[in-house]
Amino acid sequence: MMAPLSRNRVRGLVIHAVLFIVLGFWMVPQVYMLSIGLRTPAQAFDAALFTWPVTFDNFVTVIRDNPLGGIFLNSLIITVATVAIVVVVSSLFAFACAILRLKGSMLLYTTLLTTLMVPLASMVLPLAILLKTFGWVNTYIGLILPYAALGVPFAMVILKAFMEDAPRELFEAARVDGCNAWQTYWHVALPLVRPALVFVTIWQFIVTWNEFFLALIVLTRSEMKTLTIVPMQYSGLYMANPGALFAILTLIALPLILLYVLVQRAFVRGLLAGAVKG
Amino acid sequence: MRAGAAVQAAKRRSASRASTLYLFALPATLLFVVFIAYPILWVAGQSFYTGTADGRAVFAGFANYTTILGDPTFWTVVRNMVLWGAITIPVQMLIGGLLAYFIERHTHALRGFFRTMFFLPVVTSVSVISLVWVQIYAPYYGIAQEYLKHVGIVMMTSPIGDPKTAIYALIAVNIWQWTGFSMLMYIAGIANLPSEVLDAARIDGARGWRLAVHVIVPMLSPATKSLLLLGVIGTLQTFPIVHLMTGGGPNRASEVFGTFIFKQSFVLGDTASGAALSVIVLVIALVLSLVQIALLGARLSPAGKDQP
Amino acid sequence: MAALTIDKITKAFGHTTVIPELSLTIEDGEFCVLVGPSGCGKSTLLRIIAGLEPISSGRILVDGADMSDAEPPERGVAMVFQSYALYPHMDVGRNIGFGLKIARTPVAEIAERVGRAAEKLRLGSYLKRKPRELSGGQRQRVAIGRAMTRKPKLFLLDEPLSNLDAALRVGMRVEIARLKAELASTMVYVTHDQVEAMTLADRIVVMNGGRIEQVGAPLDLYHRPANLFVAGFIGSPAMNFLKGRVASVEGNQATISLDVGFSLRMPVSTPPQLGAEVTVGIRPEHIALAVEGQADAIVLKASVVELLGSDTFIHVRDGEESLVIRDSGGRVARAGDRIAISLPPNACHLFDKAGQRISGAAATTEPA
Repeated sequence: MMAPLSRNRVRGLVIHAVLFIVLGFWMVPQVYMLSIGLRTPAQAFDAALFTWPVTFDNFVTVIRDNPLGGIFLNSLIITVATVAIVVVVSSLFAFACAILRLKGSMLLYTTLLTTLMVPLASMVLPLAILLKTFGWVNTYIGLILPYAALGVPFAMVILKAFMEDAPRELFEAARVDGCNAWQTYWHVALPLVRPALVFVTIWQFIVTWNEFFLALIVLTRSEMKTLTIVPMQYSGLYMANPGALFAILTLIALPLILLYVLVQRAFVRGLLAGAVKG
Repeated sequence: MRAGAAVQAAKRRSASRASTLYLFALPATLLFVVFIAYPILWVAGQSFYTGTADGRAVFAGFANYTTILGDPTFWTVVRNMVLWGAITIPVQMLIGGLLAYFIERHTHALRGFFRTMFFLPVVTSVSVISLVWVQIYAPYYGIAQEYLKHVGIVMMTSPIGDPKTAIYALIAVNIWQWTGFSMLMYIAGIANLPSEVLDAARIDGARGWRLAVHVIVPMLSPATKSLLLLGVIGTLQTFPIVHLMTGGGPNRASEVFGTFIFKQSFVLGDTASGAALSVIVLVIALVLSLVQIALLGARLSPAGKDQP
Repeated sequence: MAALTIDKITKAFGHTTVIPELSLTIEDGEFCVLVGPSGCGKSTLLRIIAGLEPISSGRILVDGADMSDAEPPERGVAMVFQSYALYPHMDVGRNIGFGLKIARTPVAEIAERVGRAAEKLRLGSYLKRKPRELSGGQRQRVAIGRAMTRKPKLFLLDEPLSNLDAALRVGMRVEIARLKAELASTMVYVTHDQVEAMTLADRIVVMNGGRIEQVGAPLDLYHRPANLFVAGFIGSPAMNFLKGRVASVEGNQATISLDVGFSLRMPVSTPPQLGAEVTVGIRPEHIALAVEGQADAIVLKASVVELLGSDTFIHVRDGEESLVIRDSGGRVARAGDRIAISLPPNACHLFDKAGQRISGAAATTEPA
C-alpha cells in the first residue's frame, strides 16, 4: 500500500519541480522589467537579471513627472464603455437568436460571425477613414464603437450557446408567469447565463484594454492616449534612463495584471462551464 | 362584430409585439453594418481607384493589385506570415497542451496559481512586452546574449537587428505571449473530458503516456481545431510586436501584413495600395478560415486574439 | 375557475400535422386528464391550451372569450412543467412569487400569498433555499406552489410526476388528489400513465395520433371502451384480444368462432353481421379460472407466470394468440402447468374489423 503511494508522491514532486522551473523561465521578462525599474542609474545597463541594491526612486520620479492618472482614466473609460456595450448588445442578440428565434436571426447570426474571420489589420484603414468622416478622431466614441462592433460577435457566440443549453421550459415558465420578452431577458435569461457573462466581460476587458493598432491611429492627441500606446513615447523620452522607462512600463502593465489575478477564478470558472465550446 | 374587432385588436397587438422583438437584434446589426460591413465594402471599392495629383479618384481596375503583387516587399511579407503561422501555431499548441496536461492532471493545491501565472503574458500590455523584449535582445547590456553565452550561443548583435534572424526573434516573443491562451483552451478541454471515457480507457489498460496520446489528444481535437483557426487569423493581424520591436526592419526583413498596411496607408499616405492590401488580407483570411471550416469542421467560437 | 372550449383546432409544424381537427370542452371545475402514448399530441394540446404553442386554425375559448392569440397570463393559466422549470437563480419564495411580481402585485400581498401556498405545501421552512438544494418531491411542490399562487382559471400540469421515483410518485399522486379537492379549479393534466389518469380524473381524454379516441369518466372508459385502442390502453395488464368471426346470431346472442379454436356465445346489443371479422376483448382480471372438465373450460399451457404476491399474472399461449390471466385468488402456478380457464360472456367486449366497439360487457346491463 505504501509503495505505489510514495511513487505517486515522487512523480507529483518531480512534475511540480519541472513546472516551477519552466515558470521561472517564463517569468523572466516580467521579472527583468521590474528589476530594471528598481535599479539605480549606475546599474541600469548591467547585463544581469538581478542587481543589488534596489531603489524605488524611478517609480517616484515617473509618477511625479507624468500624467499617468489621466492616461489610465482614458483606458478605463474606453474599456468600460466598450465592455458594457458588448455585453448588452451581444446578450440581446443572443436572446433574439436562441430564445425568441426570430425569423432571419440565424442568417444575421451567420453574417455577424464572419467578423471573427476578419483580421483587424485589414480593417484599420477603412475604419480610420470612416472615423475621420464622422469627426471621431481623438474621441472616446471613435474607439468604443468600433471595438464594440469587433467584440460583439465573439460574445454573442458564447452567450447564444449558453442560452441554448438552458432548459427551454424555463423560458416557457416565464411566459406563463406573465413575462414579456424584455422581462424574460432580464429576469431569466441573463441570470441563467451569468458564468458566461462574467467570462465575456473579463475577456472583452483584457482585449480592449490591450488593443494597440486602432488606438495608435485614432488617438493622436497626447491627452487622449491610452496606456497601451504611451510606452513608445516614453521609450524615446527615457532612452538614456532605462530605470525610469521600465518603472513606467511596470506601472502601465500593472493594472490589468492585478485585475486579472483578482478575477481569474471567475474567468476560468466561466471557461470551464463551457464558455468556449471547442 | 365586437368579438371580431377584439380578435383583430389581438392580432394587431401580437404583430406589433413581434416587430418590437426585432429591437433585440437591432443594436448588433447596426454596429455590424456601420463598423464592419460598410468599411469592408468601402475598402473593396477603393482598391479599384487611384488618386491623381489634383486629389480626384480615378478608376484603376486591378492596377493597385498588380502594383502590390509586383512589390518584392509583399512577397517578403507572405514568406514572413507563412513562417509566423507555421512556427507559432504548432509550438504554442505543444507547449500550451503540455502545460495544460500537467497542470490539470497532476497539480491540485497549486493548480490555480500555475493557470494564472502562465496566462499573465496574455494580459500584459503588448507594447510593454515589446519594449521589454527589445531590452532582453539588446547587445552589450541585454540579458539574452549574457546568459546564452553560458550555453554556448554567442550573439554579436541583437537578433532583431539582423535581417536573417529578426522574424524568428519576433516569433519567439509572440509564442511567449500567447502560449498561455493555448494552455487555457486545452485546460477547458481537459476539464470537460467525460470522466467515464477516461475510466473506460483506464480499465482497458491505458495509463500515463498511452492514455494521453491515444485518448486525451484525440478528444481534445475540438480545442486544437479552434486554436488552428484562431492562430491563422491571429497571424494575419499581427502588428504591435513587429511595429514596436523592429518596425518591419531591418531593411523590411520582418515586415508583416499589419506593418505593411500601416506604412502604405498612414506613413506613405497611399490609400489606394493600402486598400488593395487590406482586401488581399481579408480574402486570405476568409479563404483560409472557410477552408478550415469545410475540411476540419473547425469552429469559430473563441475570439480572435488581438481582436478587441 | 373557468370552462374551456377547444373549437376545431388544428396544429401543424411545417408540413407535419400533429393535430388534425380537434374539439373538446372542459367544464368549469373539472379535473380533466389527457392520456395517451408518447407522441400522441397530448403535450402539444396542453401547450396549445397554455398559449405556448400557436394554433394553425380553430379557436380556444376560456369562459366563452376568444383567447386564440392571447398570451398565457391573459388566458389565466398556470402550469406545472414536467421538469418543474424552477428558476435556478431564485430561492423558493421568489420562485413561487415571481408571477405575482411580474403582475405588479403589492409586495405585502405577494409575501402573504407565497406564505399561504408554502404552508399548504409544507414548504414553509424552505423558502430561502435554492431549487438545487431541494429533493425531487420538494421541487415538485414548489412548482405546484408557483402555479397555485396565481389563482389561475386553468391549472395545467404536464406529466408532473414522471420525474419522480416510484415511491414518491404514489405520495405525490395522493397530494395532487387532495389539492384538486382544495383548489376546486379547472385542471388539465397530461400523463402517459393510465393509473394516474384513472385515479385523478373526473374525465379522461384518450388521445392517439393527434386525435381524441374517447372522452369519458374513468370507469366509463374501463367498462365501455369505444374502440380497440382505448380498450388496450386503459387497464393494466392490457385487455386480451382474440380474433374471430361471427358464426351465428340468434336475437341478442351471438356465437363467435375464435381463431384459437373454440367458440364463444355472448350477448350483443346490436346484432353483428353474420360472418364478419371481429375481435373479442376480455380483461385479464375477468378471465375465470376453471376446473378441467368443466363445461365451458378451455385448457391451455402456462408459458410465463409472474407472482406479484397480491396477484398472479399467468401468460398462456396458443399458437399466434396469447392471453394474460390475472388471478387474485393466490393460486400458485408454474410455467408449463396446464391451466383451465373460462371466458364469462358478460365480461367480453366485441369490436368490429375497424376496431370500433359493437357491443359487450357492461353494455348488456344498460337498458336497451
